[in-house]
Amino acid sequence: VDALINALPNSLHAPVNLEVFGAGAHVLCEKPLSTTAADARACCALAEEKGLLLAVGMNRRFVGSHTLLPIVLQERSLGELLGYDWSYGGAFDWKSASGFYFSRALAGGGASIDFAVHLLDSLIDWFGPVVHIDYQDDDWGSGIEANAIMELQHEGQSGPVKGRVRVSRTYALSNRLLVRGTKAQAEIPSDDPDTVVIRRQVGSCQISETLRLPDFPPTTTFYKQLHNFVESVRGNQKLESTGWQALHIIELIEQCYANRRRIPEPWSAVALEPGGASR
Amino acid sequence: MKWRNQMVFVTGATGFIGGRICERLVLANAGPIRALVHSPHKAARIARLPFEMVRGSLLHRESLRSALGQAKVVIHCGLGNARGIVRGTENLLAVAAEAGVERFVHMSTAAVHGLTPPPGTETEDAPVRATSDDYCDNKRRAERVVARFGRRGMSTVILRPSIVYGPYSAWSTRLVQSLRQNTVALIDGGRGACNTTYVDNLIDALFLSLDNDASSGETFFITDGEAITWGDFIRAHVAMLGRCELLPEISSEKVLAYYKQRPGLLTGSWKASAQVLRSRQFRELLLQIPLTQRLLSGAWGWLESLSEDKQQRARSRLGVRHPDEAAPAGAPIPDPVDFATQTGTVFFRIDKARRVLGYEPRVLFRQGIGLVEQWMHYANYI
Repeated sequence: VDALINALPNSLHAPVNLEVFGAGAHVLCEKPLSTTAADARACCALAEEKGLLLAVGMNRRFVGSHTLLPIVLQERSLGELLGYDWSYGGAFDWKSASGFYFSRALAGGGASIDFAVHLLDSLIDWFGPVVHIDYQDDDWGSGIEANAIMELQHEGQSGPVKGRVRVSRTYALSNRLLVRGTKAQAEIPSDDPDTVVIRRQVGSCQISETLRLPDFPPTTTFYKQLHNFVESVRGNQKLESTGWQALHIIELIEQCYANRRRIPEPWSAVALEPGGASR
Repeated sequence: MKWRNQMVFVTGATGFIGGRICERLVLANAGPIRALVHSPHKAARIARLPFEMVRGSLLHRESLRSALGQAKVVIHCGLGNARGIVRGTENLLAVAAEAGVERFVHMSTAAVHGLTPPPGTETEDAPVRATSDDYCDNKRRAERVVARFGRRGMSTVILRPSIVYGPYSAWSTRLVQSLRQNTVALIDGGRGACNTTYVDNLIDALFLSLDNDASSGETFFITDGEAITWGDFIRAHVAMLGRCELLPEISSEKVLAYYKQRPGLLTGSWKASAQVLRSRQFRELLLQIPLTQRLLSGAWGWLESLSEDKQQRARSRLGVRHPDEAAPAGAPIPDPVDFATQTGTVFFRIDKARRVLGYEPRVLFRQGIGLVEQWMHYANYI
């Protein structure tokens, strides 16, 4: 065996990765790389020591907009960046035999470690490292969050950028990224993430243009990711999504969980025991 | 009964009422809590809570035995399809009886009297008769099973709420969606009795029924005790959307005449069956069976290959109304189930719950709607 795809439940990612590296094979590991930063670090270190590849299943890196948006930012066509807003959510419908994703021990967390990792991975790639994060979720204590809200601040080549991320496993959100600038705004629409839509005001008209990479292959992101992994193992390409990048995301998620605040739910708190007034 | 330190087992925990019961149990520091989960992918809401979710099915007694654990209190909100409602309740009661469960609360519904309860059904002593609706009839049969176990010595309580609303309720989310699609009309000016039951009021009554030994063997209607009409309920949601235009109105005579013109438009249980048959989940399930796969894909392929006009007729025969169908006069025609639900005149009385349980609805309609609105904003519905 030259390489292995590790799509086991989250808590088994790190131990199996380590075993496979011990046996001398490359790994494409499903996200999240592990449920703790320490385990993720151990995976990265062992892969490096053995000279093996550790790719992580951040398949959103393979949508067209992931490459397009940095081009827009470099051109500074949005003007001075005012911030971004990225929300992604819908009723959770991922069936699995074990239901591991609702066990903190097996999944490591909920919507944040499961899905926000994708968004954070892209955002850090575009706007630079996160220097401050304020995190709220709706875990009632030792449960698994279904909703999370993150206020982030980046320091990168575009200068300081602030933004907001919201993810949900219970509610359908707008499911799009909006980057606001003084001259224009860029949107990655949910129904066509291979594009970036630029909107700007010209006189009294709002005009929009849809940017798309020329000759962008119509294959799925999963195909592109697998192809990149295989070609990287063969030495023909550079890995697009590495263990070290994924480690930073896990560190960030760990920081979020450690400093979490509860999302206010006034409709829940109203319920006092009978006899306790709520009128 | 001192139940708050006992292990509590909740079925239907991934649903709207069961989910809120789980939250309230946590807020009340009750438990330990065990929540029965049949479909884990639907458990995102309750997975936030600090308790144990246990896998199992109401249709498999063995799985219920291990899921129940050492629970002494059972709160049964689980449903299932058609006769599964009855069989599931019977299975759970049998397992609970074996395990020495001390109190079994059965979440029934005021709809045991039908979607349009006849006058004379305002109080719990009214006889419950067969209706033309599968759901109502199966809930009625399930009550009979509960009563049978009660006669054998199990301490049971039956709660019959009506239109239970609150955060997460499909009454609100579906209504807002329909209002956006302009497919809502007030029937007879919206005079129908709505019998609103704010979900936390219902759970107050549930907790009181556990506190109070006099509830054993009894059945209680639970509502907010306010004479809220469907017009009130619908207009409150119109206001949430920030709209102020008048809703179209239609008389029940016109609706009935319209249904009469469409002899293929089936109602009640037939309609419910058609909805199940066309549901994605059901189709996916059937597609796992090779023979059905062939038959079903053929049937759906055939349906989808028809012209829009023919599809419309086929839908009509199946009792599946096109969402934007309107009467010749222009007002949207209500779904037959909505029509039956919104044309009742009975306001259920909660005197017995007040007298025996000490129940008093704490969240009034205005407050309840305010909480729903807050939640709808947060949940991105409005």
